[in-house]
Amino acid sequence: MKKFAGLTKRNLMVFFKDWQSVVFSVLTSMIVFVLYLLFLKGTFMEAFQSVLDAVPGLADFIREEEIETYCDLLLFTGVLGSAMITVPFQCLSIIVRDRENKIDYDILATPVCRWQIVLSYFTAAALSSVLLTGLILTAGLAILVSKGSIYMDAAHVMGAYGVVVLGSVSATSLFMIVMLSFKSSSACGAFFGILSAAAGFVIGAYIPLSQFSESVQTVCNIFPASHITILLRNVLLNGVLSEMNRSAGGVDNGMFVYSLKEVFPFEAHMFGNNLDVSGMLVYVSLAVLVCTAVMIFTYAKTYKRK
Amino acid sequence: MNAITVSDLSKEYKEHLALDHISFEVKEGELFAYLGENGAGKSTTINILSTVLKKSGGSVKVFDYELGKEDDEIRDAIGIVFQNSVLDNKLTVKENLYTRGAYYGLSGRQVDERLVPFMRSFELSEIWNRKYETLSGGQRRRVDIVRALLNDPKILFLDEPTTGLDPKSRKIVWDHINYLRREKNRTIFLTTHYMEETRDADQVVILDQGKIIAKGTPAELKSKYAHTRLIWYTDRSGEREEVINGYEFTYDSDHYNVMFQGNITDFLYQNKSRITDYEIVKGSMDDVFLNLTGKELV
Repeated sequence: MKKFAGLTKRNLMVFFKDWQSVVFSVLTSMIVFVLYLLFLKGTFMEAFQSVLDAVPGLADFIREEEIETYCDLLLFTGVLGSAMITVPFQCLSIIVRDRENKIDYDILATPVCRWQIVLSYFTAAALSSVLLTGLILTAGLAILVSKGSIYMDAAHVMGAYGVVVLGSVSATSLFMIVMLSFKSSSACGAFFGILSAAAGFVIGAYIPLSQFSESVQTVCNIFPASHITILLRNVLLNGVLSEMNRSAGGVDNGMFVYSLKEVFPFEAHMFGNNLDVSGMLVYVSLAVLVCTAVMIFTYAKTYKRK
Repeated sequence: MNAITVSDLSKEYKEHLALDHISFEVKEGELFAYLGENGAGKSTTINILSTVLKKSGGSVKVFDYELGKEDDEIRDAIGIVFQNSVLDNKLTVKENLYTRGAYYGLSGRQVDERLVPFMRSFELSEIWNRKYETLSGGQRRRVDIVRALLNDPKILFLDEPTTGLDPKSRKIVWDHINYLRREKNRTIFLTTHYMEETRDADQVVILDQGKIIAKGTPAELKSKYAHTRLIWYTDRSGEREEVINGYEFTYDSDHYNVMFQGNITDFLYQNKSRITDYEIVKGSMDDVFLNLTGKELV
């Protein structure tokens, strides 16, 4: 246990001591945030206003602070969702660097078991993601609370942290497999650039997935990260949506909230079907199990003496 | 007792035979020098002996432990200084050594205790809290060696440990290697490009293209594969060349260079009245290597 803990601590230190690496790992989240400040928020608010204006009298019931909180939380799911993709990837790139610089030889020549080496990379990456994303979640919630009500109870908040853990573990298990295909740090870095750019789109942080064709939605929702973002939407936004429904007082028969949920989906659409919260939880858990099985097989082959 | 017993060891990469059925033994407490030019198979051998690479054939025993069956016991018994640095650039010396100590199940306090003898001899105190990436080449190498000694290994593999080091750092390294051999009876498995470092070796093995082409003590190898040069200061004349007829010789401005293989004493004794002003230059390990492989170690 001491050996495994030592290796995991080493992997965590190597990641967190390289501040540039840490900054790059949350760069996509920062870009989403900056874009939101620059124009995304305005776009969201305008879209809301036009929907409200279309239903006579509705604007009198839905308060502006509710709309603003909804938009802020919507952004927040994008920030958290992309962080849970990029942070574990960046932390796992230590595997590639270790192999490239033959640091793995130094580890392999010690009495540490092979499975402990693999598990230490996994644990360090998942922990890094939980720590950084958890920190962003805490800071974000604190800021939103300071601005006014976030319409969330303790169960919602705990649920959000739970999704962060699940998202970190699922992304880590997937990227553990991906990492073995990189022979050099430069190839890994190039892929990270593409991943950072694509992450925001795949999870629907910039444009809602509902705007894309059914096949594109299916492809995006194959990745557990999209489910994780939708799960976050469920725990973070359901409170404010219920509040809006209450405020509307049945004027629209719940159609306003229903249409909002259609635009920024609360269910994952894939292969012509919709997965609800429990369906998504099952899907992500299965994805983790499959990735872990593949990981055990591929790493056993890789870390076996060559 | 043999520290390492290698029998008929081979390593094959697709169509390339990196090690071609080599055999040798290293006695406990020996300084074993393993020589060869780049790509000869030195590092491959070390990586196999240290359980990192798998052998294609043959058998290896480290003390009584059989490679492939008792690898964890072997890993506990060895320490390695790799050709390239394998410590983490962004971590300090202290952090690097503490994390590596944990690989052997050592706590921070146990690592501290192990490091006591090294703090002064390797001048670690002054660089203790500095990041590894900020150290000079010599300082890095010293830390690499301390890292290899963390588990108090019975066998220390040194893969070109002094390449590129300044004289002071080389001296520090060699003082400690000698201390480990003489005071602690540790076995040293050394690969080097500096032939003078093999002077004190108990056994030298020379590898060329994956095959062992010579082995023995430095003295045995020099007498067998290097020429002793007699520098005879005298004028050039046919009569004098009659004396050295049968040996390879040249004449340079004021002296003859006469090449001898083996014992020169008998020749000098027989010609003591004629050869009065002379020098004897013993053959070096560089000559041995050059004569055996036709290449110089760079």
